[in-house]
Amino acid sequence: MDFLLSGFLKALDLLITLDSSTWSAVAASLKVSTISMLISLAAGLPLGFALGYFDFRARRFIRTCVDTLLSLPTVFIGLVVYAFITSRGPLGEFGLLFTLTGIAIGQVILALPIVVALTASTVENMDNRLRLTLMSLGAGKRDLVVTCLWEVRYGLLAAAVTAYGRVMTEVGISMMVGGNIKWHTRTITTAIALETGKGMFANGIALGLVLITIAFAVNISVSFLRQR
Amino acid sequence: MNQTGSLYRLDHVVHYYNDTKALNIDEMTIPAGSITGLTGPNGSGKSTLLKLLAFVSAPTSGNIYFKGRREYPFSSRSRSRVTLLTQEPYLLKRSVYDNIAYGLKIRKDTKQLDDRVRNALATVGLPYGEFAFRKWHQLSGGETQRAAMAARLILEPEVLLLDEPTASVDADSAKLIRDASLKAREFFGTTLVIASHDWHWLYEICDNLLYLFKGMVFSSGMENIISGPWEKQGEDLYARKIGGEGKLFVNTPPAEDSHALVRKKDLHINPHASGKERENFDNRLEGVITRMILEKAGMEIITSVMIGDLFFTLRLSGQEVRSLRLYPGAKVVICFQKDAVQWL
Amino acid sequence: MRKRTVIKTCLVFLASLYFFCPGARAGETLMMATTTSTDNTGLLEYLEPEFEKDTGIDLKWTATGTGKALELGRRCDVDVLLVHAPSAEKDYIKNGYGKNRTQVMYNDFVIIGPGNDPAGIKGKDIRQALERLKSLNSLFVSRGDDSGTNKKELLLWEKSGVEVPERAEWYLQTGQGMLSTINVAEERKGYTMTDRGTYIKYRSDKGDSAGLAVMVEGDAVLMNQYSVIAVNPDNCPGSKYDRAVRFADWMAGERARNLIGDFRLLGKKLFIPNAR
Repeated sequence: MDFLLSGFLKALDLLITLDSSTWSAVAASLKVSTISMLISLAAGLPLGFALGYFDFRARRFIRTCVDTLLSLPTVFIGLVVYAFITSRGPLGEFGLLFTLTGIAIGQVILALPIVVALTASTVENMDNRLRLTLMSLGAGKRDLVVTCLWEVRYGLLAAAVTAYGRVMTEVGISMMVGGNIKWHTRTITTAIALETGKGMFANGIALGLVLITIAFAVNISVSFLRQR
Repeated sequence: MNQTGSLYRLDHVVHYYNDTKALNIDEMTIPAGSITGLTGPNGSGKSTLLKLLAFVSAPTSGNIYFKGRREYPFSSRSRSRVTLLTQEPYLLKRSVYDNIAYGLKIRKDTKQLDDRVRNALATVGLPYGEFAFRKWHQLSGGETQRAAMAARLILEPEVLLLDEPTASVDADSAKLIRDASLKAREFFGTTLVIASHDWHWLYEICDNLLYLFKGMVFSSGMENIISGPWEKQGEDLYARKIGGEGKLFVNTPPAEDSHALVRKKDLHINPHASGKERENFDNRLEGVITRMILEKAGMEIITSVMIGDLFFTLRLSGQEVRSLRLYPGAKVVICFQKDAVQWL
Repeated sequence: MRKRTVIKTCLVFLASLYFFCPGARAGETLMMATTTSTDNTGLLEYLEPEFEKDTGIDLKWTATGTGKALELGRRCDVDVLLVHAPSAEKDYIKNGYGKNRTQVMYNDFVIIGPGNDPAGIKGKDIRQALERLKSLNSLFVSRGDDSGTNKKELLLWEKSGVEVPERAEWYLQTGQGMLSTINVAEERKGYTMTDRGTYIKYRSDKGDSAGLAVMVEGDAVLMNQYSVIAVNPDNCPGSKYDRAVRFADWMAGERARNLIGDFRLLGKKLFIPNAR
């Protein structure tokens, strides 16, 4: 229990003194989660839109598959990605193991189903009148997709925030694929795992609080984008 | 390539919603520059028909010809030439200005945008300074519908389809919307197709009035459609009760709960006929005239008669009304034969 | 307009992260797999800068369990190993996965127990101690997680001729790491086997309130030998074998030996260099 308080004080200390290994972990976490989020959004938003908007026979089945992918444990994803990018594996020659890029690949696999499923739900619940209105005003197919996505932007924002939270806080992929190499692939979450494993609980708490502070800052920025 | 100058021609259009048949129209035309009214009970297919005319959806089967050519959703010839105003007021999640400018921006027609938006807002009675930069959630229902109307008028559409445009709004807004629709026709020659329960207004302005019932279109305006259940009274004779003790007689229905359409030309109204003349008819129903409206196009008088729990509508000439001395509140007798019905 | 400034601030912040934080450095790199317990002592962080200064090679390492470290070598994901599981290492070399095994240092394992030593094993040799624990059914806490340390513990039972009390009620298997296991032993006032490094940390953390102390130490069989093994280039054509050998040579060299001997964990000496 006492490590909670010492952890809190330690967190302040790490942040204020700009401890370089902490900031390196922060930078690594932010770098890799931002890249994986951008890719997941770029691919997931149109896919989610298609899944929510169009009616086709395999729709329910695909939706069920996507929802099932939401339950993938991160260690499992890490293991599968490792199997592909290990030196002996099919993608071994690209040297992706123990790199942030490798972690990003795993995190995209983690975040993509979240973005797709939540976007599809948002689009399904779209007002009927929206389509009528847009077509009445002369929207073509592309206008329709773009404007619909913009109209439901608050729902999409929620999807992005959810996915981002999941990606920032995962350990399984970062550990398995990244290897927790100091200065290179040590993220905040793997650093927490390391400190906890060493029994340095206060350090673990400290890093956890740093992570929460960052998440808080991100969410504050996001809330400015929300109008109502 | 117009065929007999009709803007729209529908050819054996059948439309299903899931598994229900929502529309079943063998043939229908709408002339350019006309004002057509659609009326009928809820669920009769008015909204569906408007959506098909707007090319928002394609009919399950059949063709819709617009200006002589078959058209489909997203077609460049119908896009932003045909606009639809929904029943419930709806705006995009952006400012009023951006809502109104949306259609023009899409087709990259943004010269003098400010002025055009200003004019459009003026047409619906929304002052630019006060309303242009309000957000979508800062308007009342009536103001929202007016802004939505402005968004369509600014496109100077060839066709304006209105689905119960005054149903969900306050009285002032309703008036402004009605006036704006007519202005569109006056300034741009817009063809109007209006679905509404506001018969007064429709009878006042419409060139044609179409009556929809269960997805079928009747071109001659309000029809008298009577529902079952029908009980057998004798050989080829069925009846249903109409309030109190009266009975209405028909020939054999295809099913117990079928609907009977009484052909207008076989309906006779007669307050003064003697008992003997009346006895020639199978049906002699006593009722009261509740309403008389002067119809715009043919100068006929639409007369509503209440009989028990039913309302009958007849078209009478001015002369008939005068000679029979009919007026609202007058007691009359409606007569028709049991075979004067068409089963639906 | 507030929105735009917020977005711009975020973008600037993210961009600065890319430029101002340490990333991959150009130059020769060497990828190593080692065990978590080795990494946790801090020895590698202490040695790495010296190694880079002397050789110009940037050493990067990932710390996992012994089994996984060996597997990474088999799969050619790393170039060199630093582990402490001699019999597994010998098989490794025999099977052609590793080459050039170089012993570099050792530390030791100890048996610890409650200060008042209820089973009376203090000062005995390992064989006597374990026999006594068994005959008295004294509480003994094991890691039970198939780690290198756990394998060592099982080996001790075997070498002492005592059957592993797998199902016995007084033999607790935690399935967890060393510190957690020690904590359980302290709670339950039992005995356990630990590596000296973790024991030092435990004593440092708890200070005067530490409930456990060293009971048995010094037996040859309690020695924990560390070796550097290069991944066999015949098995892994792309591996950086010559750099791995340079690392092994450096670790066996005089400078490293001095550094290792001078290394202190929380003020206590931990490793003894024994390269030949």
